[in-house]
Amino acid sequence: MLALAVSARVLPQLLRASVLLSLPIAISVVLVSVFTRAGTTVLFTIGPFDATLEGVEFAAQTLVRLFAISTSIGLFVLATDPRAFVLDLERRGVSPRFAFVAVASIEAVPTLVERAATISESQRARGLDTEGGLRTRLRGLLPIVGPVILTSLTDVEERSLALESRAFSRPGRRHLLWSMPDRTAERVLRFVLIGLLIALIAARVAGVDF
Amino acid sequence: MLTFDGVSYRYAGYATPVLHEIDLTLDGGEIVGLVGANDAGKSTLCLVASGLAPGSVGGALTSGEVRIDGRAMRGTPLHEFATLVGIGFQNPATQLSGVTGSVFEEIALGPMNLGLSRRETVERVDAAMATLAIEHLAEREPRRLSGGQGQLVVIASLLAMRPAHLVLDEPTAQLDPEGTRLVGEAIRALAATGTALLIAEHKTDLLDRLCTRVVALDGGRVVIDAPAATALEDPRLRDLGVDRPARVRLAEALRGRGLDPAVLA
Repeated sequence: MLALAVSARVLPQLLRASVLLSLPIAISVVLVSVFTRAGTTVLFTIGPFDATLEGVEFAAQTLVRLFAISTSIGLFVLATDPRAFVLDLERRGVSPRFAFVAVASIEAVPTLVERAATISESQRARGLDTEGGLRTRLRGLLPIVGPVILTSLTDVEERSLALESRAFSRPGRRHLLWSMPDRTAERVLRFVLIGLLIALIAARVAGVDF
Repeated sequence: MLTFDGVSYRYAGYATPVLHEIDLTLDGGEIVGLVGANDAGKSTLCLVASGLAPGSVGGALTSGEVRIDGRAMRGTPLHEFATLVGIGFQNPATQLSGVTGSVFEEIALGPMNLGLSRRETVERVDAAMATLAIEHLAEREPRRLSGGQGQLVVIASLLAMRPAHLVLDEPTAQLDPEGTRLVGEAIRALAATGTALLIAEHKTDLLDRLCTRVVALDGGRVVIDAPAATALEDPRLRDLGVDRPARVRLAEALRGRGLDPAVLA
């Protein structure tokens, strides 16, 4: 997976994102596993808690799994253009409505962030104090969040009208403008990975321990 | 031909109609301007003409019928309306789909929704961009366009649908003079192809240059429906809160000073 990240030129971002995403869970996993897992080899003791070798082994295993999951998700997000992904899904038969909702949800995030920044600046220009202590910041939140939500709802209504006027609700398939290039090597790799996954599941069900 | 036969429309949750017994006809190739103060019912009339009200907005036609080429449109699915009547609003930011990565894809969205072939979609997009001279924006990200550029892209998106009738609700509200000129040219070019256009607009100078007829609304009722030159000179427009075109105001000022407005010619 790290090799894939290198080839996609997203390794530093991937590592940073994976560590940040896993960190809260990783800390609790380490604390719970190391100090509460029963074992025969006690490494050290803190108060009433014994840190056992078995606990450390279990924590290490869990961390590796956690890191594998977070890097998989992270690599997908960093290396895949959401629009390309959803259009490809549509090409493979997924409903255009689902495709639209999926892309719109992803694309809505930067728009919301931009809008919140604009509203925040306008409110500051009108004297709203958004800096300082926690209480001041919390008090400044409502005049920003309220307009962000209300303007977003208005936008959704107008956008849905505009989409209706462009035949969005017409049933039936669409001819997409372009399709994702799908090279032979990529197809082979996909089949190999799927085969490998099936083999691993089968081995696990058969009782093989890795 | 788009016809309003005594149409009254009421929004959902409201006791009284916003439009009252509107009689209006748009013939092919005709450019009709729609003027009136804010809350006169211009935008509502645009929504009803496009089928979005009551189709999508809700509410009800409490009397009358909207007809296209003689066919009553009540109960017609919205996606069928899309090829009959296109509608553009004043804020481009909310009309762009938000899901496309380039202006080209944005304009192609409508034709794609119609199920057209890839070739025809591309052909329509190219033609729409050429009409508005926005080919240079093809690769740009729609979200990063200026208000004026965005509005031109929205209008191009409507042109690519090739509707028989086009309703534009303040299409030049965010455009600079050059953008306004391009939209004006596009409107003329469309009318020349037989498209009927209804344009709600505060810029009466633009309507003066473009329209064959002007309709004024007040309180949801048609109070003036006359050839553009006559309607835009009607003194009642001032009482309705509508600025008359510069040529009319200038002529009036000259007359007020005892001069003959014919000197302007």
